[in-house]
Amino acid sequence: MIGVQDFVGYYAWTFEYLRRKYGEEAVRDYWHRAISLDSQRHARALIMARGFEGMAAYWGHTLAMEEAGYTFQRGAEYFRIDMFACPSQGYLDRHGLAFYHDYCEHCMGWIKPLMDDAGFVVHHEHNHRGQCYWEMQPATEASATPPPDRGPQDVRNLPPEVWAQARRHRYVAGRRVATATP
Amino acid sequence: MAAGDFYFAIDATFRHIHATYGKEALVQYWQAMAREYHRPLAERFRRGGLEEVRAYWAEYFAAEPGGDVEVRGGEKEVELVVRACPAIGWLRAAGRDIVPCYCEHCRHVSGTLAAAAGMTFALTGGDGACRQVFRLQGDTA
Repeated sequence: MIGVQDFVGYYAWTFEYLRRKYGEEAVRDYWHRAISLDSQRHARALIMARGFEGMAAYWGHTLAMEEAGYTFQRGAEYFRIDMFACPSQGYLDRHGLAFYHDYCEHCMGWIKPLMDDAGFVVHHEHNHRGQCYWEMQPATEASATPPPDRGPQDVRNLPPEVWAQARRHRYVAGRRVATATP
Repeated sequence: MAAGDFYFAIDATFRHIHATYGKEALVQYWQAMAREYHRPLAERFRRGGLEEVRAYWAEYFAAEPGGDVEVRGGEKEVELVVRACPAIGWLRAAGRDIVPCYCEHCRHVSGTLAAAAGMTFALTGGDGACRQVFRLQGDTA
């Protein structure tokens, strides 16, 4: 049986299988249609119905189940997650599994379409080593620049040897922008 | 305990590949997963024999959320008596539509895995309860 305890391993392998067999666009299509629209329909229902409260309900549940290291912040015009120890990347690292060239992109692959449909924009950055932030803002009030410093919980305030230890991918208002590579 | 909601993604992945690329493509996906992703496990089974198969599945099902599975080890075979499949149970409890061919992944993944380890695999039943048997190649019941 394919179980859930080692799900992350063959999930990452699946990305590479689809890329190799059908091309990179097939991976994006998989994240959108299979994961965002189908698998994560429970997240979609919560967030589309309840906005920030739905985000807190969904990620509070799922990140606790996955025993992630993270913090939430809620402002009047934003909902934010700072991830200090991504459980999925941690699993891949502990088991020496590296199949797909950019595992971290799968989160944006399913979360962005959800947020587009729910009326939010995403500011996001990940460093491919288990640290990232997500800041969702209503599309009608969204900033066109990265979020300001959100204080000690902001992963961008981690020491450079942690936050800047590897190449980072940054999205501003849902659009990929260039970042410096160490 | 593992995050049971990952069963949603497994089910959705099967449905997506089936709907987008067809049934044969889904079977190829399962077989490739067994050959590639599970290659280290096949080697474990080949080296450790049926005792390794028994130990692996006993530990595996103990770590899955829910379900009722007994793993019986013997000299000639290892039998998995799945009285309540954890995956089917989780999906049903959540009210998810389960892709009709969901249970076939066990036949193709474990069948390919067993062959790579010098074993045979047989499965009877399905839809939440089944019996799966691993034997050394050449041994008959």
